[in-house]
Amino acid sequence: MITIESLKKSFDNTPVLKSINLQVHKGEVVCLVGASGSGKTTLLRCLNLLEIPDEGTIKIGEKVVSFGEKKITKKDIKEIRQYSGMVFQGFHLFPHMTLLENIIQAPLTAKQQDKEVILEEARVLLEKVGLTEHQDKFPDALSGGQQQRAAIARALMMHPEVMLFDEPTSALDPQLVREVLKVIESLAKEGQTMVIVTHEMNFARRIADKAFFMDDGYIVEEGPAEEILTDPKEERTREFLALLQDE
Amino acid sequence: MFDTFRDIRWEHLFDFELAIDSLPFLLQGLQNTMIIALFSMFIALMLGIVLGIARMSKYALLSLPARLYISFMRGTPLLVFVFILYYGLPVIGIDFNNAIVAAIVGVSLNFAAYNAEVVRSAIMSVPRGQWEAAATLQMDYFQTLRKIIIPQATRIALPPTFNIFMDVVKGTSLASVITVQELLYSARLVAGRTYDSMTMYISAALIYWMVCIVIGYFQNRLEIRYNRYLSN
Repeated sequence: MITIESLKKSFDNTPVLKSINLQVHKGEVVCLVGASGSGKTTLLRCLNLLEIPDEGTIKIGEKVVSFGEKKITKKDIKEIRQYSGMVFQGFHLFPHMTLLENIIQAPLTAKQQDKEVILEEARVLLEKVGLTEHQDKFPDALSGGQQQRAAIARALMMHPEVMLFDEPTSALDPQLVREVLKVIESLAKEGQTMVIVTHEMNFARRIADKAFFMDDGYIVEEGPAEEILTDPKEERTREFLALLQDE
Repeated sequence: MFDTFRDIRWEHLFDFELAIDSLPFLLQGLQNTMIIALFSMFIALMLGIVLGIARMSKYALLSLPARLYISFMRGTPLLVFVFILYYGLPVIGIDFNNAIVAAIVGVSLNFAAYNAEVVRSAIMSVPRGQWEAAATLQMDYFQTLRKIIIPQATRIALPPTFNIFMDVVKGTSLASVITVQELLYSARLVAGRTYDSMTMYISAALIYWMVCIVIGYFQNRLEIRYNRYLSN
């Protein structure tokens, strides 16, 4: 589904990704873990070209793009983005639209289906994330957990082959984390391919097939999530997990 | 130094009879004021949106001319610009022949620059996450602008845009110096005839004020509508 080779990215001459290789197969749930500033979020944002890498190759679905040789076109970006949906740490719902409007906006704009079909699908998805009764409210009137569940439904409306989650629960009050994780977990059970940046280690152990531990722009350890997140071999991974345990 | 205030004749402050008698004449002048103001504001708004977006473009071919235009218009007095249009252009063979048209062109081109800056700052104040969310939902630049950014930017742009609208209404008074018979010109005519400048200019001022109060009322209603998605 996703293959990344020797991916590099710098911001103002500060290297953030220093040669990343990574593979995600169809139906896999992959977690990216590591300290702040290790490059996880940048890596995730490279997968839908919110950040344009400096060097390397990304293959996602049928689309292959190489960076560094020639300029990336709008068409490349558009094609890459067709394969993924993204859920942000800060939700980024459209505040001037109701939940329902938020969810149907993108498919309506893309005009791939009739409005009736889109509305029916929105109804099913709202039900699934438990927001049916709130569909006519504006985001500002909802809790962070409700907003994030709506954001997940909004991304799903475009039928992405891969869902990208960028610390989906980091901006939430502790008591709201669970309801969002439950939705993500149900997607995992349905076989949705997902790449998740998270600090929720118990959650990652439970639902992820694979985990990648990142440090200082490198993937320093990868393997089955249970193994990496319970009994890592690398010293840096151990230190990081110990730090989380202390909290 | 208090000599100035020694012989105040309060009885000449305001002649209600004259004010009421001349009101129909002033309101006739107000018609031209409003024609110039409404046309100018509409054109200035449209042009301002285009200029504001062009100003933010990463293509220098768009942003540089927009910057130059905005800089010139913000940096020159409206009255001087109107003189150039009405008295200057005929020298080189461009003649509007119609002072109202010249006034509309002058006021709208000048205020477009201020609108452009309001549009730009309002668009920039919409969080980057909104652009990114739309991008990941496969919306392109103009779809995002139209459906996501502009509706949110409008809310932010409303108060400064209405400030500009009031400035436009008041700015139309400059048309009186290029012989447009608008509100101020009418007041001056009566003042010249009756030698009662105080009453006539106070009347004109009050009428401008009333117009701006009405505009402020519409601003309020629009703000309520555009704020409805916010809980507090």
